[in-house]
Amino acid sequence: MSNKREREKRREERIAAEAKVETGDRRTRILQVAAGAAFLAVVIVVVVIVAASSGGDSGGDATKIEHGAEVDRLLSGVPQSELELGQKSAPVELIEFGDLQCPICKANSEEVLPDLIQNKIRTGDAKLVFRNFTIISEESIPAGAAAIAAGKQGRGYNFIETFYRNQGEERSGYVTDEFMEAVAKAAGVKNLAQWNKDRKSPEVLKEVETTTAEASSKYGFTGTPSFLIKGPSSNGYEIFQNTEGAGAFEEAIDKAS
Amino acid sequence: MLRRAIAFVATLGIGVATYITIADSGGGAPTCLAGGGGCQTVADSSYSHIAGVNIAVFGIVGYVLLLATAFFVTDWARFGGFAVSLGGFGFSIYLTYLEIWKIEAICQWCVASAVLMTILFLLNATRLIGYAGTTDGTGTVPERA
Repeated sequence: MSNKREREKRREERIAAEAKVETGDRRTRILQVAAGAAFLAVVIVVVVIVAASSGGDSGGDATKIEHGAEVDRLLSGVPQSELELGQKSAPVELIEFGDLQCPICKANSEEVLPDLIQNKIRTGDAKLVFRNFTIISEESIPAGAAAIAAGKQGRGYNFIETFYRNQGEERSGYVTDEFMEAVAKAAGVKNLAQWNKDRKSPEVLKEVETTTAEASSKYGFTGTPSFLIKGPSSNGYEIFQNTEGAGAFEEAIDKAS
Repeated sequence: MLRRAIAFVATLGIGVATYITIADSGGGAPTCLAGGGGCQTVADSSYSHIAGVNIAVFGIVGYVLLLATAFFVTDWARFGGFAVSLGGFGFSIYLTYLEIWKIEAICQWCVASAVLMTILFLLNATRLIGYAGTTDGTGTVPERA
């Protein structure tokens, strides 16, 4: 009798010991898989962030429109009307004839304009006007019209500057409705339906055509960006050729004042 | 206790993600409590949607799954909770990176969701480490609500 009880006791102990081992094995397996998953997650996050950081400069991607907030900060507090940036009463007027597909215009916009805005436009010494001079390809026309349409909602310069900062390779076909709409959204254009209507209107498209014709026939410009400057001390509109950065603009504005 | 905490935080997460989704529908944006345009900027950015779907919808799905795992006392539920919260935590890191470096604006609701997902990841990791392999049938330490 006591032998039987002892055997049963030993059997129970053996089963309990086996269960304990099995539980321990399962626990080890689960934690190993969890550790592997955590390691994999770390690798994925790092790879995705590194890829996003290094691949963000290609531009022309409607799904990756960036720098809208940066442009907003740059232009914050500076009056805008149509494609005119600065106080209407500013004594000096600087006109840029540009093409939104033009990479030199983009460079000018990113490297020169911020200082110029800070030192001369924001202070009320000068105002900056953008006029379309669409010379790169047919795609430049709807892009220019979209900027004018954004200007009708007080976001013209936000659109131009955001477009430049997301510009793709010229003539690559990136200037699609989707791309321009994404730029308009990032530029803070509120009424997209109205903007869509305006940018396709015959008047706006005619304006792009008119300023383009004016740039070549009236002023003899052959490339973008080209500039005109006019102030109390200038002889009407004078052609200003700048390859020297913001400092040269500021000197020209001082001279024309 | 851990399961209750997971259920509570996941419910908060569902609330936050649902608010973001509702506020975004129809072209709007969540309202930043301290003012500023951070929420509007983030909502308007091209990163706020994946294949036309607001990313907050993915958040709702994740939080609902995490809430569900809190109701089951099995290794599958523990590991599922860990895996979903790990994915959510990793995604939150990526989204926070986008806010700071790409969109250059911070939305408080997104930050709130990232914090909740981080807490859920810690709770689920603690649950898994503490109770993995301890299902009721083995007679070892039972996990309580």
